[in-house]
Amino acid sequence: LRCQHYPPLRALQASAALSRVSDEHKKEPLTSPSQQQFDSHPDGHQPKQEPQGPRPSYTGQGGQESEDYESEEQLQHRILTAALEFVPEHGWTAEAIAEGAKTLGLSVAAAGLFHSDGSELILHFVSECNTKLSELLEQEQKLVQLGEAEKKPTDEFLRNAVEARLRMLIPYIEKWPQALSILLLPRNIPSSLSLLTSMIDDIWHYAGDQSTDFNWYTRRAVLTGIYNTTELVMLQDSSPDFEDTWRFLENRVADAMTMSNTASQVQSTGEAVVQGLMGAAVTVSN
Amino acid sequence: PGGGAALRLRSTRAPLEGINKPVIDRVIRVDHAGEYGANRIYAGQMAVLGRSSVGPVIRQMWNQEKTHLKKFNELMVAYRVRPTVLLPFWNIAGFVLGAGTALLGKKGAMACTVAVEESISDHYNNQIRTLMEEDPEKYKELLQIIKQFRDEELEHHDIGIEHDAEATPAYSVLKTAIQLGCKAAIFLSERI
Repeated sequence: LRCQHYPPLRALQASAALSRVSDEHKKEPLTSPSQQQFDSHPDGHQPKQEPQGPRPSYTGQGGQESEDYESEEQLQHRILTAALEFVPEHGWTAEAIAEGAKTLGLSVAAAGLFHSDGSELILHFVSECNTKLSELLEQEQKLVQLGEAEKKPTDEFLRNAVEARLRMLIPYIEKWPQALSILLLPRNIPSSLSLLTSMIDDIWHYAGDQSTDFNWYTRRAVLTGIYNTTELVMLQDSSPDFEDTWRFLENRVADAMTMSNTASQVQSTGEAVVQGLMGAAVTVSN
Repeated sequence: PGGGAALRLRSTRAPLEGINKPVIDRVIRVDHAGEYGANRIYAGQMAVLGRSSVGPVIRQMWNQEKTHLKKFNELMVAYRVRPTVLLPFWNIAGFVLGAGTALLGKKGAMACTVAVEESISDHYNNQIRTLMEEDPEKYKELLQIIKQFRDEELEHHDIGIEHDAEATPAYSVLKTAIQLGCKAAIFLSERI
């Protein structure tokens, strides 16, 4: 399906005009009216590939660039990435997006492509951080396989992974509480939850988790709890280089390890007791 | 990269490239749950009939199911599939079904085996159809595994028939009830 190349500026002006009309329909993501508009053109817009429909996918990678053609999703990706630079000053807002668009040589009306509360910007940021974390963990894994690095014990691995991921928040830490509250909006919860769960799953995967029973859920639930509480501690931490946060993290991970050790001890004690009772029963019956 | 020729780096991402993840997820999750349940059913049967004359037969079928489960454990890790939340439930339900039908006697246990194995074979056949429709080349390994397991489940079914499953009192009622349960289990395990 070869598609016409839409010059980005025209596309944005069209979207901006549309966004004013669609402002009443606040429930729809702003991208879908513009998407439909493009689809009605005879030489249609490149149809979205991802299974989630017209909304840009935050859980996967963006589309591939084929030659000159840039999809709308890739353009939005670039604008949001450029906007991140302005977040510390403007917060997660349309202003930041507008500034980002300016640095790309686009009209500030580009901010109209997105929701005014900065949802997409935040989700984009979270998705980027998760991708960076995955790549980091993949690199580490390669080094261990090549024998150039030691395999870390589980608690150290988890601690390092969570710390690495949380450190990505540091440049934006002032504005992060605002971001968290937006991520908790009912509209955003499916996406933010999905991003959180896939990040936690990634960490456990690279930590070498091979559970195929209920432990799969227990481990992820525990790590999610550790991550979320550490994140909240970090927001209120004023110690140099967040050392209080990392100490908190260390303690929580240690707690989790103790809990799991205790659980397996309880289980094996229980099994031993049952065996003892069965033995006693057999003896008595004989 | 130095030494790269001799050393094949196994990225854990390799099996995941280019597959239809939602479909494969479901396939592996439900099959894993199924083999897990089958294991528990045979365990229940052994608990009651282990020392009877059909003990060795049941044990042999149980051992094959253990191999199946082991394979799906491996596939689950390789394809990074989430196990069904209902596993603890299948743990108990499977054992209860196995022990319960075994308490009906040797024929009862065999009837249960026949019912379950027929359901599983049908289910595997459906999956083979689905995967063939998707892309037989891409899923060659998985298809091979499922075909082999389906054949082995059919063997179990035949063993059950040989051992007078059909002579069980209320055979058709029992069989229908068990197969309905299996259908429900399959439906739920695919999704939850």
